[in-house]
Amino acid sequence: MRGAMTSLPHYRAIPATDLVIRPLADITLLYHRPSGQTHMVASPVPEILAALGAHPLDSHAIHARLATCYDLGDPDEARAAIATHLAEMAALGLIRAA
Amino acid sequence: MSAALLVAALRDPASVAGLSGAQWNALIAAARAERLIGTLAFRLEGVAVPPAVRPILADARFDAAREAQTALWEADRAAAALAPLAIPVILLKGTAYAAAGLLAAPLSPALGRFIGDLDILVPRDALDAVEAALLDAGWEWVKPDPYDDAYYRQWMHELPPLIHRDRDRMIDVHHTILPLTARPKPDIAAMIAASIALPGGLRILSLEHRVCHAAAHLLADGDLAGGLRNLWDIHCLCSASGAAQEDFTLSLMEEAARHDLAAPVARALRLAHHLYGTPVKAYSAPISLDLRLRPSDRLFLTRLLARDGWGRETHKALRQLFYVRSHLLRMPPPMLARHLLTKWRKGHRPG
Amino acid sequence: MKHRIALTIGPASFRIGAAWRAPVARLAALYHDYPAPPGGIADFTVRLDPVRPWRRYIRPSIHITGDHGLADAAPMALAHGLLAAEMGMNLQMALGWRRHLLLHAACVEKDGRALLMTGESGSGKSTLAAMLGERGWRFMGDEFALLDPATGAVHAFPRLISLKNSAIAAMEAQVADAARFGPLLRGTAKGDIRHLRPRADAIARMDRPATPALLLFPRYGQPVDIRPVDPGECFMRLTQASTNYTALGEAGFDCLSRFVQTIPAQAIDFPDGNSALALVDDLWNALR
Repeated sequence: MRGAMTSLPHYRAIPATDLVIRPLADITLLYHRPSGQTHMVASPVPEILAALGAHPLDSHAIHARLATCYDLGDPDEARAAIATHLAEMAALGLIRAA
Repeated sequence: MSAALLVAALRDPASVAGLSGAQWNALIAAARAERLIGTLAFRLEGVAVPPAVRPILADARFDAAREAQTALWEADRAAAALAPLAIPVILLKGTAYAAAGLLAAPLSPALGRFIGDLDILVPRDALDAVEAALLDAGWEWVKPDPYDDAYYRQWMHELPPLIHRDRDRMIDVHHTILPLTARPKPDIAAMIAASIALPGGLRILSLEHRVCHAAAHLLADGDLAGGLRNLWDIHCLCSASGAAQEDFTLSLMEEAARHDLAAPVARALRLAHHLYGTPVKAYSAPISLDLRLRPSDRLFLTRLLARDGWGRETHKALRQLFYVRSHLLRMPPPMLARHLLTKWRKGHRPG
Repeated sequence: MKHRIALTIGPASFRIGAAWRAPVARLAALYHDYPAPPGGIADFTVRLDPVRPWRRYIRPSIHITGDHGLADAAPMALAHGLLAAEMGMNLQMALGWRRHLLLHAACVEKDGRALLMTGESGSGKSTLAAMLGERGWRFMGDEFALLDPATGAVHAFPRLISLKNSAIAAMEAQVADAARFGPLLRGTAKGDIRHLRPRADAIARMDRPATPALLLFPRYGQPVDIRPVDPGECFMRLTQASTNYTALGEAGFDCLSRFVQTIPAQAIDFPDGNSALALVDDLWNALR
């Protein structure tokens, strides 16, 4: 495999009008307009959504952004967890593969 | 005959003026039973209706809009799952109309249309790859019934149905538009080649081929269940194009002949013309298209309109006849006998 | 159809057709005070058909259907015809109603404010609502509470109260007017069932909505316990208790997320009816 860094999948946000975000006490409700689906999510999903914009980012770049605001523990484990979340969020259509 | 009320209301929305309460009940029950309530609701938009009817139609329009949105999302997910294969993926039936409706037509079959499963057409040699990609993206087999599964794979024009494990929506993957056992043999490669690309990578059949498919589905394949809806699709497709293109009927009949579907398409046009007033032209040359009803068309009309004021199907014997006919059309008789025996042993009954 | 009746319950109207006289006669007696649909036009059609043509006469067996039906609905005995008609109306609401967010909940009202109780069948919500309805509360429904997405108000759907098993004797002891009861239906899928017509005030005022004030998750047959339910859990349990949440799309999401953010919710366990009434009193009085 050449250059692990370059082979990481990149993601970008979907249009802000496609998603309604409503934080409750300890979870966040998401209403995804294109699918009509409701998702109940917990950290770090809302934080990942907030970190992503129109510019494509990979799990390492998102980790770098989140690490400035949150204590994420072991960086390798945190990056792997973020990568898993990203793939699941993309499958739901909450973010787009770039 | 509440189905006749429904046909009249679709054909001429002003005809609902002066309906009694009982007639409205019959019209609404028939429209729901035929899954044309959304279509009716859009046809009656702006027409004066009793106050009690207004919210019923508003609900139906609301449902139809959500239905279309969900169907387009399902198509988007299938497109995402199949994108790595780089094959043409063609949307069929309801989802195709919804997607094409975005390209806008004055009388689109998409308006208010009921959409059930997602139907897609892919090249036959890509079928195994499509199956694998869908299973990988979260679709699962609906029923692991060995007889049905073998039957589908051996004789049908589609994979056994798959359902998505999270979204609970079905997908039917077709590789041609009629069962392999049916007599007409459409040139599916030519249809795929003539298909139209939509923004976003998916495709739809050409207008002529959409009509051919709807007619084949209605007359060469189905037992006429949902027939009024299928004919309304054909009516809308022909009406929309007739305005845009001179001699659409001629090019439609040429395509129908090329794909072995001249008889079902001609019958569908006669029935649509008779029921909905579809603006198709009669020809005697270069292709003959006579829009006068034939005696056998009367049987089809009776079957299509067989619904009473409570939304119940009537003419049970005639329906049974069409059910057997639909199997005859799909399979040679010995194969049919074997199939029906297997089905009946498991308690399946038509209607 | 040969035998028919049309009636309005809260904001919804039905026409019910049956192949037999008995179920329609029962409905006519128990729904006597309910108005006919406006203009004779019903929101829904319900049909009680024989499962096979000859089953109208021989071992009569009812297939419940209508505008909306379930392919695998179990046939019912003609003796349970009233229950079949009630199920038929519920089925239309559950599958076809779009004008409100439907919560599978019982609901009572006092001073314009509503108490909603949601839970599985057997949780005691229906009996509790019936008891409160005889004690100064207005009965709004024991099956569906209808939330208006535009206003957040709850609308009544006060059809007959479906009393089951031990609740039948309990309510017979509390309701003096025998004409409010339907026939005792023995041996249904849920045991014995007897229908009770709500009090006249519940029917006369069924058009009036109320403002939701408290949500309870009752559980019958447990030692007394009270536990607050946080908005996240509430949201999840109510989406599961709604038959049309998904169908309403964003309107349903807005309505329900506002509801759980503004209405306090408690899970209550109780061993019997009297302790439940005491719990409800305490929690309701503590609201002010």
